[in-house]
Amino acid sequence: MPLEVTLLKRLPGFTLDVAWTSGVGVAALFGPSGAGKTLTLQCLAGLLRPDAGRIVVDGRVFFDAAAGIELTPQQRRVGYVFQGYALFPHLTVADNIGFGLRDQPRATRRERTRSVMARLGLENLATRYPRELSGGQQQRVALARALAIDPALVLLDEPLSALDQPLRRALRDELRTILGDWRTAAVVVTHDFAEAYRLGDRIVVYEAGRVIQSAPRSELLWQPASEAVARIMGIRNVLRGTVIKATPDRIQLRWRGLTLEAVNSPSRAYLPPPESPIAFFIRPEYVRMIRKDRGAPDPGHHMNLMSGRVVAEADFGTTVTLMIRLDEPGPPAQGDYDLELEVPRLVYEILEIERDRHWQLSIHRGSIQVLPA
Amino acid sequence: MTPEATSALALSLRVACLATALNAILGIPLAYLLARRRFRGKTLVDLLVTLPLVLPPTVTGYYLIVLLGRRGWLGAPLYAATGWTVAFTWYAAVIAATVMALPLLVRTARAAIESVDRDLERAAHTLGRPEWRTALEVTLPLARNGILAGLVLAFARALGEFGATLMLAGNIPGRTTTVPLAIYTAVQIGETGSALALVGLLTLLSCVVLIVAGRLGARAA
Repeated sequence: MPLEVTLLKRLPGFTLDVAWTSGVGVAALFGPSGAGKTLTLQCLAGLLRPDAGRIVVDGRVFFDAAAGIELTPQQRRVGYVFQGYALFPHLTVADNIGFGLRDQPRATRRERTRSVMARLGLENLATRYPRELSGGQQQRVALARALAIDPALVLLDEPLSALDQPLRRALRDELRTILGDWRTAAVVVTHDFAEAYRLGDRIVVYEAGRVIQSAPRSELLWQPASEAVARIMGIRNVLRGTVIKATPDRIQLRWRGLTLEAVNSPSRAYLPPPESPIAFFIRPEYVRMIRKDRGAPDPGHHMNLMSGRVVAEADFGTTVTLMIRLDEPGPPAQGDYDLELEVPRLVYEILEIERDRHWQLSIHRGSIQVLPA
Repeated sequence: MTPEATSALALSLRVACLATALNAILGIPLAYLLARRRFRGKTLVDLLVTLPLVLPPTVTGYYLIVLLGRRGWLGAPLYAATGWTVAFTWYAAVIAATVMALPLLVRTARAAIESVDRDLERAAHTLGRPEWRTALEVTLPLARNGILAGLVLAFARALGEFGATLMLAGNIPGRTTTVPLAIYTAVQIGETGSALALVGLLTLLSCVVLIVAGRLGARAA
């Protein structure tokens, strides 16, 4: 593993206690503000000394409390892109980028600075000062400065949070490309799941100073390790039911008076006993609305049948979100409604949902994800 | 101007310039340490440096005599070894002015250094710069205007120093009589014209100093 991190750091009112590893590529530390993500970066860079733990980057031991090893930030050769970028305001773009190369011969330094600027498309800004740059340009200069030292590891703290939304998306993809090009191990901190998902090959989910899941991104999306992870990820329709029966590949559960069938994850073999509470989620875009012009629903084909009424909707342009209240008696599961559905605008129009509010729904068992407690 | 006034002005400028230089040498590193480091006795150092700002200057002067006078803690061994004492020489005026001006520089410079974004220093560290070079290349250049404003204030304070100077250096015409002391003497013996000229000069100099310090302060903010 190119990156092995075990950290314990006690601060007044907060304890960081994490352990995770990452392979080649980008690890995204994702979680709410104050979860300890930036502290982790500072420990990795040597700007903060952990009370205990071990940090190994590509076989080099940066820190090992037990062995008494601690490299200084200067010795670590870590490229750090700070939140807010921390560009030196009294230096030009070229001098900022060349700052980490001052001990090298002048010619080498100039050549290296020039080539990094060329790769990031910054040649025309060489003589400008940071205050004369746009947010996106500043971000790129900060990245160039970090990459110029040929870092063993690149750390990026909320690299996009200072930018406006449209630019943010464009730069997110650009950042992904640059980090991929450079082939250096990188750790990105973000509180935005879309960003973590787009940038990270592996996602490490932080909450209150702990890691609650660390997984390749595809696995995280489909198998959040717990209800807490699902909620932090912003997953919708996180629901609670009761187990009827669990086998290694199926879980039957009761929810709102209905019997639902979900796929169990064989890799996890989660086998809660009957009658125990269970959390699960249903992706809003995977709930099927059954067309009324195609004959009666076939229970063999349409799993997890239920019916309900659209009680509210929100138009997002390309998609429409529908809030459904089931016909079952009892209080709805999520306030005024039971389920949130997302349908493409075209479907919304073809099915005339604006006029027709009562629908039968079906959810494939593979689209109901069980969340281990 | 009378020869006394001219010599007082020359002495005052010499004393103020030297005291400002000493302030820069002692005060800037001190301000940096107070702003950026934690060390044992930091509160005490901070207190000692700041005290002359609030103590009556004569009290500060008294402590300086206790420390440096012919029978002082440092002064006595020095006198025993060399037969020389700093008291009642123009060096004493420089020392008094330095001590009195130091809190102004240290406080202003410290605030300026503290306002430098720590992430800039952290960035310099990750880019391979040791702390002392980070201070020279990042922190102090960025705190420059605040430090210069502090030096200007220190210069003004040194130029106008009266009480501590009188205590440690005395008021020996042609040797330790600085402009404020010359004004005092002139008023005492009724030479109002001479006093007025020196008062006007000192007021003018102080105005210039305040304007310069204000400009630097505004740019620092």
